[in-house]
Amino acid sequence: MLRDWLSVGVAMAAGLFMTVQYFLVSESANAAYRTVLLWMQIVFAFALIIGVIGVLRIHLKKLSRPGSGRIYSGTLLAGAVLMSVFGFSGGIERGSAFLWVFDNLQAPMQSTVFSLLAFYVASAAYRGFRARSMESAVLVIAALIVLIGRVPVGEWLSPHIPESADWILNVPALAAKRAILIGIGLGMIATSLKVIAGLERTYLGGR
Amino acid sequence: MSAAPRRWVFAVMGAVVIGALLFRVGLPIRITSETRQVYEQLESLDSSDVVMISFDHEASSLPEIGPIGSAIIDHCLRRGTKIIGLALFSEGTAAGYSLLGDRARRAGAVEGEDWLYLGFRPQYAAAILGMGEDIPQVFETDYQGRPLSGTPLGMRVHDYRDIAIVVSLSDGSMPTYWVEYAGARYGARVVAALTAVMVTSFLPYLESGQLAGIVPGMKGAAEYEQLMGLPAAGTRGMDAQSAAHVVIAVLVVLGNIQAWSDRRRARRSP
Repeated sequence: MLRDWLSVGVAMAAGLFMTVQYFLVSESANAAYRTVLLWMQIVFAFALIIGVIGVLRIHLKKLSRPGSGRIYSGTLLAGAVLMSVFGFSGGIERGSAFLWVFDNLQAPMQSTVFSLLAFYVASAAYRGFRARSMESAVLVIAALIVLIGRVPVGEWLSPHIPESADWILNVPALAAKRAILIGIGLGMIATSLKVIAGLERTYLGGR
Repeated sequence: MSAAPRRWVFAVMGAVVIGALLFRVGLPIRITSETRQVYEQLESLDSSDVVMISFDHEASSLPEIGPIGSAIIDHCLRRGTKIIGLALFSEGTAAGYSLLGDRARRAGAVEGEDWLYLGFRPQYAAAILGMGEDIPQVFETDYQGRPLSGTPLGMRVHDYRDIAIVVSLSDGSMPTYWVEYAGARYGARVVAALTAVMVTSFLPYLESGQLAGIVPGMKGAAEYEQLMGLPAAGTRGMDAQSAAHVVIAVLVVLGNIQAWSDRRRARRSP
């Protein structure tokens, strides 16, 4: 209970301070603002450490249990240990083992997984992108125009295709996106005010 | 969809993309106003200006982000504009260091004088706001642990007033925070270099003038290379991207024809 009140108090004080200091022009307020910004980074750095410990604990547990996922947990743990050893012992600059592993293993592997999207998108486009009503037919036609109009083949087929694609993006899509952004902005203001007032406490883990 | 057509879809997509990468067609690339806007702003800078490039992306998006970053870095180096690199995503740290370091060394630029890499800082909101107050307070040292005050370029930059343009190379929503914190609060000029899938999300910021420009995905990289007269990875990727888009468009049409004929058959059958 005391911990909850302490957390709400810190959130309230920090929220109020960050709101009020925007309008203050005193040197002491500015110094306090800079200190808060540094503290935010320091606290977040500790959160990263906690995150790493959490991941290691979960995968150590998985490794100790029999099952088909053990190999993945083992790979993750080996990667984490190796990269830490490379980073702390050999540095992270050009020519280091750390950077070599990142450039030649991690980046290509992650890019490969990302590139699989092209295959799944193609498969999903064939299966799911159907014109079942007038509204969905409009969506399919717009998608086809943007799909072809945003690559050079669209320009090669006809200059009207990229022009139409630009119009779709800059007029109807932009209007919808702007409305969504305004809604998100208003929602963020309302949630921020509720956090500062202590009414919104889901960040305490739903207590 | 049964396993057989799915396999065919995968095979056709793979064959078309590989074919387009192996045999270049060289389709004409139209320069969009968004890319030209960014190019012209960087072109207007000179050797006394500093551009801040933030590598706000993961390693997985390097094939798309890399060509954009290379084109922008090459442009700055060619103009003699100084570059300060940093990362607000942990994975962007090593990627940014490799990319910026490689391009700079290739151009014969001197580290600490012509370019500087600051590395990663956690909590992007605090880092962006903090740099508006005092860059050396947020980054006391560079990526390799050397004091910022020990380099000629590091000594020149104190806050966003010393930065001509901030470029956020991003595969997510990070440019939003640059706009909200660096742009709105400190008046920094922000440009977003994005993966294609993120472009629509940032068009409202471009229209309102909160973003000074957008480089849209691999196509943007190809356009930028055309503007510089140096075709590279972006231009090479355009044929493959065109081919992949055509395959998806054809599949959408085929899927709809199939669904329409299925519905018709179902109506006819008793």
